[in-house]
Amino acid sequence: MNRHFGARRALGIAVASALAVAVTGCGGGDDAGRSGDAAEGAPSPGITDTSVTLGITTPLSGSTAGPGTCTVAGVTAYFGMKNAEGGVEFGDGKTRTVEIEALDDGYDPQQAKANYDQLKDDVFAMTAGLGTPTNRAWRDAAIADEVPQALIMTGDPLFSDTEESPWQLGFVPVYQNEGEAFGELLAASGEDHKVAILSQNDDYGAGYVEGFKSAVEDADNIEIVDELTYEATDTSVDAQITELAASNADVIFNAMSLVPLVVSALQKAQQLNWKPSWFLPSNTSSPGAVLEPGGGAAFPGIYSVSFAKAPASPAFAQDEDVVAYLAALKQYGDYPDPPAFPHCQWSWMVGATLEQAFQNMEEPTRDSFMEALRSIEGFQAPLMLPDTAVDTTQDGQPAVSSVVVQKYNGRGYDTVEAFE
Amino acid sequence: MASAPSNRASTSSSSLSSLRQRPWVRWAAPLLLVVVLAVLPLVMSEFVNETLARIGVFAVAVLGLNVVMGYAGQVSLGQIFFLGVGAYVTAYGVTNEWNIVLVFVLACLVPAVAGLVVALAAARLGGLAIAMVTIALPIVGVPLAKRLSEYTGGSQGLSARFAEAPEGSGLFDDQWQLYIVLVIGGTVFLLTRFLVRGKYGRAFAIVKGNENVASSMGISPYRYKVLAFTIASLIGGVSGFLYMVVIQYTSPETMSFGHSIELLAAMVIGGAASIVGSLLGGAFYVLVPQLTNQVDASLTTLLQGVILLVVLFVLPGGLASLPRALTRGRRRSGAERGAAASTTSPSSTLGSGTSAEEPETERQGHA
Repeated sequence: MNRHFGARRALGIAVASALAVAVTGCGGGDDAGRSGDAAEGAPSPGITDTSVTLGITTPLSGSTAGPGTCTVAGVTAYFGMKNAEGGVEFGDGKTRTVEIEALDDGYDPQQAKANYDQLKDDVFAMTAGLGTPTNRAWRDAAIADEVPQALIMTGDPLFSDTEESPWQLGFVPVYQNEGEAFGELLAASGEDHKVAILSQNDDYGAGYVEGFKSAVEDADNIEIVDELTYEATDTSVDAQITELAASNADVIFNAMSLVPLVVSALQKAQQLNWKPSWFLPSNTSSPGAVLEPGGGAAFPGIYSVSFAKAPASPAFAQDEDVVAYLAALKQYGDYPDPPAFPHCQWSWMVGATLEQAFQNMEEPTRDSFMEALRSIEGFQAPLMLPDTAVDTTQDGQPAVSSVVVQKYNGRGYDTVEAFE
Repeated sequence: MASAPSNRASTSSSSLSSLRQRPWVRWAAPLLLVVVLAVLPLVMSEFVNETLARIGVFAVAVLGLNVVMGYAGQVSLGQIFFLGVGAYVTAYGVTNEWNIVLVFVLACLVPAVAGLVVALAAARLGGLAIAMVTIALPIVGVPLAKRLSEYTGGSQGLSARFAEAPEGSGLFDDQWQLYIVLVIGGTVFLLTRFLVRGKYGRAFAIVKGNENVASSMGISPYRYKVLAFTIASLIGGVSGFLYMVVIQYTSPETMSFGHSIELLAAMVIGGAASIVGSLLGGAFYVLVPQLTNQVDASLTTLLQGVILLVVLFVLPGGLASLPRALTRGRRRSGAERGAAASTTSPSSTLGSGTSAEEPETERQGHA
C-alpha cells in the first residue's frame, strides 16, 4: 500500500506541476523582470513601437465587484476611443495603441499579488486597481521590480509618499483631502457652529477627522462638542447617534464608509427629531443608494465632496465630456448601463492622465514614464468639475487632491461656494 | 477496437507494479522526486516558481484541514483563521526584527495554542456543533485584526519582506522562496504522512468512524479530537509563515470567512483524507482563479463554481481518486469481456483490502 501510495503521490505532483506549467503558459527563458537592470535606455517590457500594454488587478467578483468593474471599464473605454482614433502619440514621436489587461482579484490581497506576478513581465505599467489591501499586497514587490503602480484607486496616503513609494502614485484624493475641504468651507462661513463627529475607528475614519480638524483648528467659530467612533463591524450606530443628538450640535461630520449604516444613521436622527447639517464622505453620499432611502431631504443640508461630473445629473446631460464619455463607455468599455459608481468616471480620468504622461515621456522606459507622470500640473481632465485639477507634482498628495464641496438638492448635488 | 489499448494498458500496469516491488525502485523514486524538486526552481521561469510556491502555501493549509476533517472527521470551518494568525505573528516578528527561527517557532506555537484552547471547548460538542464553533473563528478574526491595530496594522495590514535570497547564493528571490516553501512544506507533508499512517492516524480513523467503538477500544474521542484540531492549527500556522514568505503581506482580508470555505472546497476537491489530495487541493485553490482569469476576468466566480460542480459530479472522491477511478473503469471494461481480470485482481485487493481511505473519502462528500 505504501508503494502504491508513493507512486500516486509522485503522479499527483507530476500532475500538479504539469498543470502549473500549462496554466502559466510556460513563461520561457525571459527573465527580464528578475534582474531588473536592463540595458540603459532599452525599452521596458510591455511596450513596442506600435503598442503599449497596461495591467490592472481589481475586484471583478465579490462584494466590491461593482466599483471594481468600473475601474476597468472607464480606462478601457478611454483608450478604446483613442485607439479607434489611431492611438496615442508618445513623447518619443511614436504613435502607439494602448491595450488593457485586467484580472480579477476578488478583493483578496493574495490573489492581487498573484495577478501582479502574472502581469509584471508583460505589461508596461500597472494602473487603476481598486482597494487598499489589494494594492498594498504587491506594493513592496512593485518597488523591488521597479514596475509603476500608477494612478490607483485608494485613499491610502502611503501611495502618495514619494520617498516611501517611489514607483507608486494614488489617483483619488486621500481621506484627509475630503475632510479638509469641508472643514475649510465650514470655517469660512463666519457663523458659529457646533460640530459633532462620528467616525469609523480605523485609518479611514481617522484620516477624515484629521483633515477636518486641521482645517478648523484656527477657526474660532467652530466648536467640536462631541466626538464618537464606531467599529467597521458594528451593525448599528443608534447609540452613538442618540448620544450625539444630546449634544445639540447643528453640524454632524460623519466619516462612515458603510452605506447601510449611513442610511440608518440618517433615519435614527430623524426619529430623534435631530436635524443637523451632515457631512458625508464621497463614497457614501450617493443620492440614490443613501440619501433617498435615508430621507436626506428632511435635513437642512447634506454636504459631500466631489471632483467628477455626475453623468446622471440633469445639469450635465448636454455636457460635451459626459456625452463622449457615456458613448465610449458603451462602445468600448463593455459597460452598457449608466455608470452606478463614480469609479467609472475616475477611471476615465485615469486614462486621460496616463495619456498626458505618455505624451511627455521621452523614452519607452518605465523610468521615463514615472518622471513624466510626476510632472503633470494643472491638467483639467475630462469630466473634472471646475476648480479641480490633476496635479502630480506635490509630494505627499495623490494625483487629484483638489475637491469641491457639494450640497444635496433633493435629486443630485450642486457645487456650493459657502456653507448655508 | 477498444480492447487493444485497454489490454496494453493493463499489461503495462502489471509490469509497472512488479517494477514497483523492487527495493531499489522504492528508494529511487522518492530520491528522484527530491532531485526534481531541487532542480525545478532553477530551470523554471519566475512566474512558474511563484505559482508553485503559492501552491505550496495553500497545500500546507489544506493539509492541516485534512488532518482534522479528512482524517479525524471533525468539520472545521476556521482553518483560514490559523493561517491568518501565523501570518500576523510572522509579520509582527519580522517587523520587530526578531530572530527568524524564533519567529517561525512562534508562528507555529501561537496558532497551535489558540487551536488547543478552542478545541478544548469545541471538541466537547458533537457533530456539526463543532462546525458552528469553528465558523466563529474567521468571523471573530477579521474584526479582531482590525481592532488590534497596534499589532496588526489595522485594516491597512502589515508588509514584511524578509525572504530575499541571501547574498552570494546566486539565487533569485523567487527561487529562494520556492526552496523555503519546498523544505518547510515538504517536511510538514512528510511528518503528517507519518502521523496519519501510524498509531494516531488509526485512532483518528476510528474516532471518525464511530466514537463509541473508539471509546470501547480505550481511545478517548475527546482527546484525539483535540489533538487533531491542535495539529491542524499548528499546520495552519506553518502555512501562515509560508504565506508571509511568498506573499509578504497580510491584512484582515487574509482571513475572511470566504477563504475558509474556499479552503474547504479545495480539500474536498483535492481528496479528503489524502496526502496527495492536499497537494492537489492547494493547486486547485491557486490555479483555478488564474485559469478563470484567463478565460474571462469578469466571470471568475461563475466559472469557479462550474469547475467545482463538474469535479464533484465526475470525481466525488476528489482529484486524488482520479487514478483509482481510471483503473476501475479499465477493470470494468476488462470484466465485461471476461479477460484481463486475473491481471487486475491483485491490485483490486490491494486497493480495497488494505486501504482504509477510499470509503472515507466518499463518505466525506456527504458530511
